[in-house]
Amino acid sequence: MTTIGASGLSVATPRVVVLPAVRVSAPVRLNYPWKLGSMNRMVVVKATSEGGISDKVEKSIQEAKETCADDPVSGECVAAWDEVEELSAAASHARDKKKAGGSDPLEEYCNDNPETDECRTYDN
Amino acid sequence: MAVSTIYSTQALNSTHFLTSSSSSKQVFLYRRQPQTNRRFNTLITCSQETIVIGLAADSGCGKSTFMRRLTSVFGGAAKPPKGGNPDSNTLISDTTTVICLDDYHSLDRYGRKEQKVTALDPRANDFDLMYEQVKALKSGVAVEKPIYNHVTGLLDPPELIQPPKILVIEGLHPMFDERVRDLLDFSIYLDISNEVKFAWKIQRDMAERGHSLESIKASIEARKPDFDAFIDPQKQYADAVIEVLPTQLIPDDNEGKVLRVRLIMKEGVKYFSPVYLFDEGSTISWIPCGRKLTCSYPGIKFNYEPDSYFDHEVSVLEMDGQFDRLDELIYVESHLSNLSTKFYGEVTQQMLKHADFPGSNNGTGLFQTIVGLKIRDLYEQLIANKATARAEAAKA
Repeated sequence: MTTIGASGLSVATPRVVVLPAVRVSAPVRLNYPWKLGSMNRMVVVKATSEGGISDKVEKSIQEAKETCADDPVSGECVAAWDEVEELSAAASHARDKKKAGGSDPLEEYCNDNPETDECRTYDN
Repeated sequence: MAVSTIYSTQALNSTHFLTSSSSSKQVFLYRRQPQTNRRFNTLITCSQETIVIGLAADSGCGKSTFMRRLTSVFGGAAKPPKGGNPDSNTLISDTTTVICLDDYHSLDRYGRKEQKVTALDPRANDFDLMYEQVKALKSGVAVEKPIYNHVTGLLDPPELIQPPKILVIEGLHPMFDERVRDLLDFSIYLDISNEVKFAWKIQRDMAERGHSLESIKASIEARKPDFDAFIDPQKQYADAVIEVLPTQLIPDDNEGKVLRVRLIMKEGVKYFSPVYLFDEGSTISWIPCGRKLTCSYPGIKFNYEPDSYFDHEVSVLEMDGQFDRLDELIYVESHLSNLSTKFYGEVTQQMLKHADFPGSNNGTGLFQTIVGLKIRDLYEQLIANKATARAEAAKA
């Protein structure tokens, strides 16, 4: 991203292209080391952004078209289109969720906890 | 069915894992909570009666409109479990828990690609686990259910599911396995015809980059053989089938906005009395629009008749057309019988409550609401029956 040109030494650091919603996180460290075995995958359990799913859908459609170009009735072709269907459904759910929710985080919090101080309403 | 049983620790442990058939990539977190285990052990009393409803539907899982209407009839909005995996497919309300059967995939997306099978194929699903966990929940035992993450396509660590009063299992194969079928107290099959499916998928997917008419068509065609072989035959086992067809009121309509919906209700199912129009068991054709009620194009047409469906006696109630106004809805409701409503206008009220849901102006919303009321009726009858049986057993 920056070049240190002052001393004639130019160190070009790799340009990191950060997609708007990709979150890079460090591997999870556990306080309970006996659970380490089950955390091998280090998957960060976070809801993926919408942009991510749309890209996946597009990619899967391309893949399916390629796979089916060779043999339209093979198991691979069918499985590829099934994947497209699954991802399209996930994308449409994400869109609906974003349309429905995506509102005030305070409103969401108050729906779940109406008795807290921030959320109490006095009608009289 | 045993009304009160005390489970040994051994049986309780058997619901906490299930790695039997999976590859090493899928690891389940073991929850070590010995105290709570023991509490469940002693808390298994006879007061919890869980009924299990099965819903077979192609796409959508727990977030579909049908589920939201169903849970709304029982009261309370169903929400994903708080503080858990945000990509969880489960919905929980006060009385109802909706489980997505995709969580019982034995192969994740990559496994399926490797094995060249679709999600519709029974080889991609673990029916043993499904049966064990549904049986456990039905008997009042909490389970650690795996989560299938639709976004990543992987199987996530399991979540704890408490036994609810009403358990709904929704997915592709609720009635595929015979043992699971026997556990169901009521089953519903949502049968969407090919034309309507195509129209709906176009509406859903055209906004997506990369999709075109051809790709949508190809996707439906590619899945069709597996769908016809594995999913469609479940129709014959369902107690209620909701068939969605293109309308007959508009010639050559291919937009799929006006629908003809048929509610096929099996006769002779315990605690389930089919809805009828005017005279039970007769054949009625009814167009409510006329002097008392004015409707706009294309209007509304009802049909009711007894029929035979896969060698079963059924009653079919059919609605073609759309509702435009509130009074059309209440007019229709006042002429239907055996709706299992608790007060006059309950169906209309439920439909209005969710006026923004798709299908609120046609037969899909109407019949889904009616099925919801029928399930509530079934639940109450079952509870009352168990209570009297227990009272008699206590007296004897």
